[in-house]
Amino acid sequence: MLSRSAVQRLVPGGLVAAGGGTLLVTLLVLIAVSAAGGDSGRMPDIARILYVSSIQAGLSTIFSLIFGVAIAWAFNRLSFPGRNLSVGFLSAALVTPGLVVAFGLISVWGRAGWVNTLLAPFGLAVPPVFGLFGIVYAHIILDATFAAALLLPRLDGLAATRLRLGRSLNLTPWLRFRTLDWPALRPALPGLAAIIFLLSFTSFPIVLTLGGGPANQTLEVAIYAAVRLDFDLGAAVRLALVQLAISAVLIIPATALSLVPPAGGGTRALPWPEPRGVARLAGLILIAAGLFLGLPLVAVIVGGTGFGEVLGQQSFWNATATSLIVGIGAALAALVAGLAVASARSAARNPIAGFALSAPAYVYLAMPSVTLSLGFFLGAHRLGLNTGTIGFWVLIIAGALLALPYAVSTLTPALTGIEGRYGRLATSLRLSPLQRWRLIAWPLIGREIGLVLAMGFCFSLGDLGVISLFGSENLSTLSSAMNRALGAYRTDDAAAISALMLILSIAVFVALPRIFERLSRAGT
Amino acid sequence: MLELDGLRFAHPGQDRQYAFSLSVAPGEILGISGASGAGKSTLLDLIAGFVTPLSGSLTLDGQSLVGLAPEQRPVAILFQADNLFDHLSIDRNLSLARPHGRLPQDERDSSLEAVGLAGLGRRRASTLSGGQKQRAALARCLLLDRPVLLLDEPFSALDVDTADAMRELVRKLVSARNWHTLLVSHQESDLAMSDRRLHLEAERLQTG
Repeated sequence: MLSRSAVQRLVPGGLVAAGGGTLLVTLLVLIAVSAAGGDSGRMPDIARILYVSSIQAGLSTIFSLIFGVAIAWAFNRLSFPGRNLSVGFLSAALVTPGLVVAFGLISVWGRAGWVNTLLAPFGLAVPPVFGLFGIVYAHIILDATFAAALLLPRLDGLAATRLRLGRSLNLTPWLRFRTLDWPALRPALPGLAAIIFLLSFTSFPIVLTLGGGPANQTLEVAIYAAVRLDFDLGAAVRLALVQLAISAVLIIPATALSLVPPAGGGTRALPWPEPRGVARLAGLILIAAGLFLGLPLVAVIVGGTGFGEVLGQQSFWNATATSLIVGIGAALAALVAGLAVASARSAARNPIAGFALSAPAYVYLAMPSVTLSLGFFLGAHRLGLNTGTIGFWVLIIAGALLALPYAVSTLTPALTGIEGRYGRLATSLRLSPLQRWRLIAWPLIGREIGLVLAMGFCFSLGDLGVISLFGSENLSTLSSAMNRALGAYRTDDAAAISALMLILSIAVFVALPRIFERLSRAGT
Repeated sequence: MLELDGLRFAHPGQDRQYAFSLSVAPGEILGISGASGAGKSTLLDLIAGFVTPLSGSLTLDGQSLVGLAPEQRPVAILFQADNLFDHLSIDRNLSLARPHGRLPQDERDSSLEAVGLAGLGRRRASTLSGGQKQRAALARCLLLDRPVLLLDEPFSALDVDTADAMRELVRKLVSARNWHTLLVSHQESDLAMSDRRLHLEAERLQTG
């Protein structure tokens, strides 16, 4: 028999799941109906877009996995001051805005970037970073570090008994990798590959900034161009349907992977130093990763030091205020919805019910932000609403929906673990849902709550997809302001905004989980 | 009297169907033995209301418990582990015996004294030893004072001396409070404290 407390947790979660599912179906119907009735003047070459996107996403995936495994391996083999902080920065890759990374690459490798400035006295120059190379490079910065952050705990968490056995057998470094590390890494790779491919395939801000024209555009960029540049809704909805179909196929293997990024770095069971040569190789890998992957982000910070001019612009302050308010709103909405779903999942005994509760949330993982906002855009048109008027609320709702899968995948294991350990005891003690929350859940999941809020805020802050369709003179976020500044060659303004976004993202991502962990434990 | 009469249950998707019949008098400890996986914990889950029987009756002093949700049943439980919320103080754990009202400090203190933990109320549960945790959980059972006490191998994680002391304490409290007590265990030393024994085999209870 279901306890009263279980029912009280199932109902809100069920309502959120039903609401999320209904909204999704409504948006899909709107897109499908518009596609059926739409009149497309000039249809983009979808086959070519798919071909180019697949090549780009395939290369991004392969290189990200290779570098991700190498970086995780190198971190696992080395101990040095600041290791945990460095691992924390790896995790922050998940929330670093793509637009910021693209700008960082231009700052280092662009025509007037650091590298060309250094080479100029020798009469040398590197080719521009735009095009396929730049896109893949930017994706590697984000996805190789993301992969490393997910793979490192698998290496750090190897059982001490296995390490002792390996050490007693005097395994060579190569045999150690093949017999101990690789079996721990391999199961994660297919899911990781699927998700990196999906992220690269649906990439928007990076391709928009570094694409260098239609030759390298993804479906996302094509949708954006159809709506905002060609004013061709018919083409946009057809592209969106193709996009959704492909994302839906890719999402199946991608959901096999736990998306919870490790925030901090794991503990290593047993120190097993490598021979000096191997340790040097690990050190070289980390230095190279720092140079090639970290330098563009350092360039963003350095480039943003000349922020004096932008501070005098009212539009900058308006965009900052909008980004902060929208980010906080989206983060809170994602948290509340995620808690409702995760809490219901922890109370649901039937696996089918559990799946039904979380499936609507996870489907949003397959919904690229431009496609999602296209659904809202079409809905607004159909209802005769002014997109400028409702844009602010759409930004919050869309931001929350895009963060919801991450919120559910972060909170569900934590709440399910608590339920497994303390659920029966709490029921037998007749604790109310509020008491369960205040006394059991809140003190134990403060870190996860902070992480969900940070992800919700950062995703919203870095989003360019939704604001690209709903943005206007009166509604601008930091992302859209930066994009406009780049388009108008106001590089100093773009640099300042980019630095602010990067600092905000990393600070929020690193600080919030720790702050909430302390807050939650303070009362016990 | 706690009575189970032909209480049947099957786990979803499994053919095995348990059928339980037993009675426990006030102040009596009924020991249930059986191999791992025999269904001992399932029996306690049925009485506590965590699973729903297919048929049969479950009554306490003639009142049916079958339709009651777990939180409405007059049952206190002592599990093998995780009887306390580790992140809370002992006092806070004890106060959960009255989740909807205030539990006076002197009641908490006297319950701790009764189980030999006087003065430890402000300690965080995670800092206590395994035996101390079980004693603190027993103190909460005292405060709950519900007529049915279910013991799910509560001594199996304790060392020999601590387990002996706990058994003696439980025996004393059950007699003093007239609790209808079911103890499931596969350890002879635990079962020796019971007044009567039944053995669970082939999904049925048999006289042990």
